Amino acid sequence: VCSTSHGDVLALPKVQCPNHPDAMLVEDYRAGDMICPECGLVVGDRVIDVGSEWRTFTNEKATQDPSRVGDAQNPLLNGGDLSTMISKGTGAASFDEFGNSKYQNRRTMSSSDRAMLNAFKEITTMADRINLPRNIIDRTNNLFKQVYEQKSLKGRANDAIASACLYIACRQEGVPRTFKEICAVSRISKKEIGRCFKLILKALETSVDLITTGDFMSRFCSNLGLPKQVQMAATYIARKAVELDLVPGRSPISVAAAAIYMASQASAEKKTQKEIGDIAGVADVTIRQSYRLIYPRAADLFPPDFKFDTPVDKLPQL
Amino acid sequence: MLAIGPWQFLSCFGQQFQPEKDVGKDLDLSFLPEETSGNDASNANVTQDSGVFDACRQEESAETDPKKVAMPGASTFCPMTPVIPVAESSGIIPMLQNIVSTVNLACPLDLKSIALQARNAEYNPKRFDAVIMRILEPRTTALIFSSGKMVCTGAKSEELCHLATRKFARVVQKLGFPAKFLDFKIHNMVATCDVCFPIRLEGLLLDHQQFSSYVPELFPGLIYRMVKPRIVFLIFVSGKVVLTGVKERREIYDAFENIYPILKGFRKQ
Repeated sequence: VCSTSHGDVLALPKVQCPNHPDAMLVEDYRAGDMICPECGLVVGDRVIDVGSEWRTFTNEKATQDPSRVGDAQNPLLNGGDLSTMISKGTGAASFDEFGNSKYQNRRTMSSSDRAMLNAFKEITTMADRINLPRNIIDRTNNLFKQVYEQKSLKGRANDAIASACLYIACRQEGVPRTFKEICAVSRISKKEIGRCFKLILKALETSVDLITTGDFMSRFCSNLGLPKQVQMAATYIARKAVELDLVPGRSPISVAAAAIYMASQASAEKKTQKEIGDIAGVADVTIRQSYRLIYPRAADLFPPDFKFDTPVDKLPQL
Repeated sequence: MLAIGPWQFLSCFGQQFQPEKDVGKDLDLSFLPEETSGNDASNANVTQDSGVFDACRQEESAETDPKKVAMPGASTFCPMTPVIPVAESSGIIPMLQNIVSTVNLACPLDLKSIALQARNAEYNPKRFDAVIMRILEPRTTALIFSSGKMVCTGAKSEELCHLATRKFARVVQKLGFPAKFLDFKIHNMVATCDVCFPIRLEGLLLDHQQFSSYVPELFPGLIYRMVKPRIVFLIFVSGKVVLTGVKERREIYDAFENIYPILKGFRKQ
């Protein structure tokens, strides 16, 4: 099996067939030869094999992949660092007499990006806590890299910027998380995350869509264990309430929480305001306020095909 | 009677002569004699601005006086000046709520002795390294620093701010320090007003994205940063608007005239 060498002729030393200098040499990597296709003369030999050293089969020692010569890093994010580091030794010879390992100073590779690598690790940890998929983590990493390289937010804590990037990434992917949810997995206060959020939007000159009540319905309802019917009803109620402008100036989260309360109270799975408040990160007095605003038009807000366990006039009045 | 010229005729009526010429500040009032226009300015400063603009500053005789007086007067004095109808200008004047100013007393102060001797003064060096002094008339608060610099907040007009700062300086003087009154400067003014109709903040955000910031999770109002004049608006769904970040009263009025048509475009139906 041969392969044609289509490398750039300028880089390689000019090996050519003495009889046919124009002929493109064919590389036979099996034997390590370079053959002239015209006359069959073997021009170069002992060509270094650039194939992999080990063959890997599926399922064989999945942890160690000997055909990889380095970590599966994402070079786009790290600035293409190709330096070599001395790893921890294996075997007895790497330890000196006291039991300390020789070459213990694992020299810091890319000290300039050390902070960035730390931030990536922190982002992965945070995202792991709320089970965010890989695409959001990648987007967050990209945002962080852009902000970090711009240096306009250099004075801010990296963790704060990382949390804000996570928030923005969730928004951009169409699955927004509330500030309180990001707060729960980060050590930074909501105030600081909010500040960094606004600064990053200005620095990157991007904008995000406004949040709607429907973005949070599936998550809140699943966490509360409400059936699909109730979730759909709550989504409908919240959307109708906003359309009819019954709740001007209320945060969409509060409206969503009140809608879930109304829908669950009308169904067989009744949830208290406290439970909903715990899940949504909203105070139960806030739910009460929004509920009071939508209660008068409750009959119009329910979807037409909803099966009432508690009729509309028996809904709790707070 | 016949000897009275046009200017004397005007000055007889003084404040009451508030014809339609006085509708908006952008009109040319230079034809009015010094006293009248001077009167207007001081009136505006000392008395409180009403939220809604009356054609005449007097309450009862609002409608009748201009008509009575303007008939014989206006045609003589300025037939050429076009009368801008009230509908074009918003007719709403923002009300000043707070003014922050600084002044340099130009002498080092012993804060401890000030705190001990003056009444209505608090001094907690562990929390903040300045004396916080309050006076009742005008109701203002001052931060007095040991370098001799002072910040005065809480006044509702420029005159009151100046007066209050002078009162604070006098208090310090009476306590035995050679206080002077150098570089009085107003740094910030805050005003509020009401456009009296609900506003669609989402629409405003969509159209003016580069100036607006609306994050309902963080703050219920939309933060609009106007570039010229450089001012920040806090716009709420109810129609209430807060203006801040300027040093001149004029800029507040100009900025509000700029934003009013924009807000009208996003009125909720």
